[in-house]
Amino acid sequence: MDSKLTLLKEFYSGLPKDRAKVETARLGFEFLESLLTDGTTFEYGEMHRSTQLNKYKLANLSDQKMDKLLRAHLAKENNVCLYFDDVASSIFCINLDNNRKSNNTELIPEIKLALSLLREHLTLLGCEPLIIASGRGYHLWCRLAVCIENNRLHQFMLRLAAMTLAGLHNKGLDYNQIKTNFYPDPRIRSRVSLRLFGSDHSRNKTFSRVVLNDELLDEEASWMAFENHLRSKTITEAQFNEAVNVIAAVFNPTPS
Amino acid sequence: MKTIAIDLDDTLNNFTETLQQTAFTYDPTDGISEEKFHNYLKKMRNGDRDSSELLSNEYSSFCGKIISLCHEQAQARPDGVAFMQWLRAHQWRIVICTFSDLRSDSDRIRTWLKDHQIPYDYLFMAMNKLDFCNAWKIDILVDDHVLNVQYGSRYGIQVFYPIMSKHKTVELNGARGFTTFNELITWIQN
Repeated sequence: MDSKLTLLKEFYSGLPKDRAKVETARLGFEFLESLLTDGTTFEYGEMHRSTQLNKYKLANLSDQKMDKLLRAHLAKENNVCLYFDDVASSIFCINLDNNRKSNNTELIPEIKLALSLLREHLTLLGCEPLIIASGRGYHLWCRLAVCIENNRLHQFMLRLAAMTLAGLHNKGLDYNQIKTNFYPDPRIRSRVSLRLFGSDHSRNKTFSRVVLNDELLDEEASWMAFENHLRSKTITEAQFNEAVNVIAAVFNPTPS
Repeated sequence: MKTIAIDLDDTLNNFTETLQQTAFTYDPTDGISEEKFHNYLKKMRNGDRDSSELLSNEYSSFCGKIISLCHEQAQARPDGVAFMQWLRAHQWRIVICTFSDLRSDSDRIRTWLKDHQIPYDYLFMAMNKLDFCNAWKIDILVDDHVLNVQYGSRYGIQVFYPIMSKHKTVELNGARGFTTFNELITWIQN
């Protein structure tokens, strides 16, 4: 447990730990008050279609309280979702989701191709992502050795997504069938959080499995891939700057 | 501790009136034509459902923006504010329970509640408020939604609602309508 906790904290070191959304099957005022000790404050809660999934947005978390929540995350008692820093981040994530109202956990061709194209673009740019399966699609995480301003990260992701969606269009697929979200997103930074790797989803009890070489890894192999990504795939500032320049040239070609 | 859940839109505020009467301004940076803006606004004011097969689409984004503006501009019912302050003074646990998406609107709603001096203990978004009240063992719900008015008793929840024309044909099943929040003070103490 301790080694996994260390890995988790290291991987997500670029995300603030003073706020979080906690997802759990647990509910009731007694439980909620147990979360609100040591100065932790409650912003709001959500109960969606089932009483089995309750979400609590918490703020002013102490380091000890965050550790406790992360341990519970690893013990699969709850999910911890983290928010992004207001100004700059050393991690970014592109989320590809099935955008249909019905059967939206289905792996549709648009998602498959978008994942393939986006991974290819990122890898060619020297920013190989860690891909984690989520309920309706995939999260593509990239770690950076330094903090980069959120606006710059957002523009980089926006351009990558535009290239990816253009790729879908060129293959005759409808890009409206997928929804892309970017993290951090300066427009909605305080609103959106992302579930961390390393736990079963509170609702469907599915582990956050890593996708490697088109294969969905099991839990143990996912942890190995997670650690390997942390140790060997962190993007340097120079690599990121080069990637930004390459993408910028695609969108703003030098007149010949 | 006595606990009460209270809806926000059209219960504590005048959301529908705000939606119908506010002169919303077209913003070209939203990426839709002015004609589409007015068509979407008309559609929204008519209460038309989003018929798209897609979760996130142009119309849903439009609605989200207008809903946020309504949450900023809506007026609080003065008797509702006084009722909430009475609840606080009498040690009730107050849960604001809304259908609105708090991921996008919680900051606006919390600011609005603060600006209007409306006390509360917890803010919750619940897709099904009766399920929510049942699960959280809340016996009293104040809400205008016709389904909650009609089916509250099935969940063992006493529903009080601000009387509106939409309630005329609703089977009440023990739910009680009120004209002013002052009436509730007597009822909830009984």
